[in-house]
Amino acid sequence: MMSFAEIEVELLHAVLRRALLRGGDFAEVYLEDRDALAIRLDDGRVDQALGGREAGFGVRLVDGSRTFYSHGDEVREQTLFAAADAVARAAAAHARTEVVDLGPVRGDVGKHPVRVPPETVDVRRKAALLRAGDEAARRVSSSIVQVSATYAETRQRVLVANSRGERVRDDRTRLRFVVSVVARRDGVIQTGYEALGASAGFEIIDERGAADIAVAAANKAVTMLDARPAPAGAMPVVLANGFGGVLFHEACGHGLEADTVAKGASVYAGKLGQRIAAPGVDAFDDGLLRNGWGSAAFDDEGTPTQRTQVIADGILCSFLYDRLEANKAGVRSTGNGRRQSFRHVPLPRMTTTYIAGGQATAEEIIAATPYGFYAKSLAGGQVEPASGAFVFGVAEGYLIEHGRVTAPLRGATLIGSGIEILNRIDMIAGDLEVKSGMCGKEGQGVPVGTGQATLRVSEMTVGGTAA
Amino acid sequence: MSGEALPLSGRPGEQRPPLQHTVDRLVEMAGGRGVQAEAYGERSLSRRIKVFGGEVEHLTVARRTGVGLRVFRDGSSGYAYSSDVSERALSTVVERALAHAGVTQPDRYAGLPSPPAAIPDLVIYHPGLASLSEERKIALAVEAERAALDHDPRVRLVENTLYVDDDAEVAIASSLGVRGSYRVGHCYLFLYVLAEQDGQTETGIAYEVARDPALLDPGRCGREAAGRARRLLGARPCASFRGTVVLDPYVAASVLSVLGVALTADAVQKGRSLFAALEGHAVATPLVQLIDDGAHPDGLASAPFDGEGVASQRTPLIADGVLQGFLYDTYTARKGGTRSTGNGVRGSYQSPPVVQPTNLVLQGPATPVTDIVAAIEHGVMVTDAVGVHSGANPVSGEFSVGISGVLIESGRLTRPLREVTLAGDIPSMLRGVVALGDDSRWVPNGSVLTPSLTLEGMAIAGS
Repeated sequence: MMSFAEIEVELLHAVLRRALLRGGDFAEVYLEDRDALAIRLDDGRVDQALGGREAGFGVRLVDGSRTFYSHGDEVREQTLFAAADAVARAAAAHARTEVVDLGPVRGDVGKHPVRVPPETVDVRRKAALLRAGDEAARRVSSSIVQVSATYAETRQRVLVANSRGERVRDDRTRLRFVVSVVARRDGVIQTGYEALGASAGFEIIDERGAADIAVAAANKAVTMLDARPAPAGAMPVVLANGFGGVLFHEACGHGLEADTVAKGASVYAGKLGQRIAAPGVDAFDDGLLRNGWGSAAFDDEGTPTQRTQVIADGILCSFLYDRLEANKAGVRSTGNGRRQSFRHVPLPRMTTTYIAGGQATAEEIIAATPYGFYAKSLAGGQVEPASGAFVFGVAEGYLIEHGRVTAPLRGATLIGSGIEILNRIDMIAGDLEVKSGMCGKEGQGVPVGTGQATLRVSEMTVGGTAA
Repeated sequence: MSGEALPLSGRPGEQRPPLQHTVDRLVEMAGGRGVQAEAYGERSLSRRIKVFGGEVEHLTVARRTGVGLRVFRDGSSGYAYSSDVSERALSTVVERALAHAGVTQPDRYAGLPSPPAAIPDLVIYHPGLASLSEERKIALAVEAERAALDHDPRVRLVENTLYVDDDAEVAIASSLGVRGSYRVGHCYLFLYVLAEQDGQTETGIAYEVARDPALLDPGRCGREAAGRARRLLGARPCASFRGTVVLDPYVAASVLSVLGVALTADAVQKGRSLFAALEGHAVATPLVQLIDDGAHPDGLASAPFDGEGVASQRTPLIADGVLQGFLYDTYTARKGGTRSTGNGVRGSYQSPPVVQPTNLVLQGPATPVTDIVAAIEHGVMVTDAVGVHSGANPVSGEFSVGISGVLIESGRLTRPLREVTLAGDIPSMLRGVVALGDDSRWVPNGSVLTPSLTLEGMAIAGS
C-alpha cells in the first residue's frame, strides 16, 4: 500500500484524466487513511480495546445530476486506474471536461489545534479514564446498577484532488468520551447519558473531567427514578440549552440540507428570504467552531469550512450546500460536503448547528411559564423532512408549575413539526451550549455538534403515558 | 455498462490469495505468541443504484476487504483490524491486538469456542446475483419508480428508489481449530414515495428482498409504496381513546427488533432486560411464537455459522406465550452456564462479535386481515410509526411513538390519521396480542419475518 506522501501529483492527474475520458463534468479522487482506537468499560470492567487502520480511496465522476463512484481499500496505481476506468465506462457521457493542472496542495493544520496527539499517550492512561468514570458514577447513588463508558479517538488523514485543479490535505484528530448509566430502585429502571467530544487531542480530558461526565450521567438516571408518568397534551415547552439542540438539528437542520431542498422534499424549499421562525431567532451551521466535534478545516470535497447563518431574525437566509448542490443552485459550496469515509459519496451535511443565544436568562424563562414541560435532555428522535414532522424521546423532563421546575416526568415524547416550533419560539436565553453527537443520513454517520440556548416554545404536543 | 466484476485490484492475471489463507496466516502468526487467536476476514463486491426521474442518479460499485484479529491472554482480550492484508500489515495487526489485550481486565468467561460438530447446509447464494447485468439491475429500479408514479396522480415524486446488492465471502479460523468460509448474497429494492393532496404530503415505503435479482418484482414494490403514501392522504388527528391497534408488518417488525434486543443474554446479564427473571413464565398471549432463526433459508442474516464460528440454529424465544430463553454468544453462554445459540454477530471485520438476534420470526395462527379489521369496534390500523427506536426504551419497555394509519370504526377502515401517539409498554403489549394476520413478510430492517400484529387495550393520544 502507498502512503499519501508517495502519491505523486502526476498519478492523481492521470487518474482524473482517465475518469473523464468518456466525458463528465467533474472528477475527484478522495484518499483516506484512518487510524482508530476505542476502549470500553462495561459492567465494572474494561472489557474491550479495539483499534486498527483502514485506508482506501474513492473515484467520483459527476455528469450533470448523475454521480458514479467506485471505491476500494487497496491504494495502488493499478487500483486507482481501474476505478477511474469503471466510472468512465459507467458514465457513457458526452460532455468533455479538461483536467486543470493540479495546484499546490492546500492545508490548514492549525485550524483545530491538537496539543497532545492521542496516539502519543499510553493506552493504559486512556483505560484509567474509564475506571475513574465508573467509580465516580457509582459513588453518586447506591441505585446505580450499571455503568458503561467509552473512550474513542480517531486520526483521519485525507487528500482530495479534483479536475478543477484543487488539491487539499486535511488531518483530523477527534476524541470522545461517553458515559451511560442505569439506575434501579423498587423495580423502576432509568438511564442517563452524557458525552464530551472534540476535534482536539488528549488535552481535553483527564481523570477528573471523566469523573464529571460520569456524575452528570448518573445524576440524570437517579433523578428520573422519582419521575412520574408525563401528562399528554399541548403545552408550553422549555428546551434546555445543550441537548435541546438535537431537536433543531433533526426537525429543521435536515430540511436545510440542499439535496433535500432540491428535490422539493423539504418544507423549507422555495422559502429563502421568507419568515420560517419567530422574530429574534438566529441559527447557524458552523464548521469553523474551534476544536468542535463536528468541525474540520476543510470538508470532504476540499472546500474550506465556514460559519453559515441559516436563519437571521426568523428569516431563512441560506441552505447548506456541497459542491454538487451548489452548482445546481448557482451558488458556492458552504463547505458542507461531508462523507463517513472513502466508501461514501459526499452529501450536504450539517457540521455544528445551533440556535444562537438571546436576551433572557433560563431562570426568567422558567419563571414566566405558569404551567408547562421542561425538556432538560432529549433521547434522540426521528423526522420526516418532507413534512417536517418529528417525534423525540425525552431522556430527562420535568413539570413546570407556577414558574418553577417541579416533578421529574418519564416516558415523554415531543411531537410536532420544525416550522411549527420555530414560529412558536417566544423566549431565548443567552446560555448557548453545544453537545457532540453522531448523525446518520443515507446510511452515513458523521460527527456533528448540536447546540442551543435555553428557549421556550409557546405550545408543543407532549406525548405522555399518564392516564 | 456490463455486469462483469470490476477489476479493482491487482494486475491483470494476478490472483489474490483466498481469504481462508489470509485468516489462517493471521492465526499462525498470533498463535506463535502464546495467545488464543481468532481471525475473521471478509471480502465483498456490492452495488448501490439510485434512480430518479427514470435515470441513474447515483451508482456505486464497491470492493471491500479486511481482517480482524481477536486474541485472549489469561482472560484478557484485545482486538485489531486492517483493511490492508499484506504480510506487513498482518504483523501490525498482531502487535496491536496484543497491546490492546494488555489494558482489558481479565474475565474468566472470556475465550473462543471449540469447532462445531456440524454446521447447517444452507443455500444462501444465487449465481443470478453476479450474472445479471448492471443494465438489468438499473432497469429494475427504473421500473419500480415508474410503477409508483403511475399508480396514482397524487404521487408527486419518488424521493428514493434504490437497488442494492451485496456479494460477500466470509472466512474464519482460530487456534482452537475453527475453520470455515461461505459465500452469501442478497439484493433488495426500496422505495420512499411522497404523495400530495391539498398541500399535505404523506409518505410511504416498500421493500422487496431476494437472493436472485430476477425474483424481485419492481411493479409490486412500486405500487405498494405508492399505495401506502396514498392511503394516508387527508390524514388528521383523532380524539384520544383506548382501543385495538393493528400494527402492519413494517411497524410490527420495528417493535419486534426492540424486543429482540431485550431477549439477548447480554441485556439480561447486565440487568438491562425487563425479561431477566421471566424465563418459563407467560409473557404473551398463547398465540405468540417468536423464534430466532439464523439458518432460515430466506433470512438476510442467515449464515452457516456466526461471527465466531458457532453453528447457526433455530432458537425458540417465546412458545405459546411462554418465554423459553435468551440469545447467547460464546461469552454470555459461559457466563450463564449454557451453550451459545449461534448469536455472536459481526457488524464487520472491524469489531468483535456481539450478541444480537439473527432473523426474528413471529409465527402463530393466521387470521385474514380483513376479518381482523371487521371484528374491531374502535381502533387504528398503524402503517407508520416514527421513533420506535428512539421512543421505545428497551430497558424499561416503555414506549411512546408517533403513528400514522387508518382509523377503524365499526369493523371498517374509515379515515387516515396522523399526529397521533401510541403509548404503553412492551410487556402489556405482548399480553394484549389478540390476532396475527395472514400477511407475513420479510422486513430487511433488522431482518424480521412477521405478519400484522393486533393488540388490545392500547392508548391512542390524539388532539
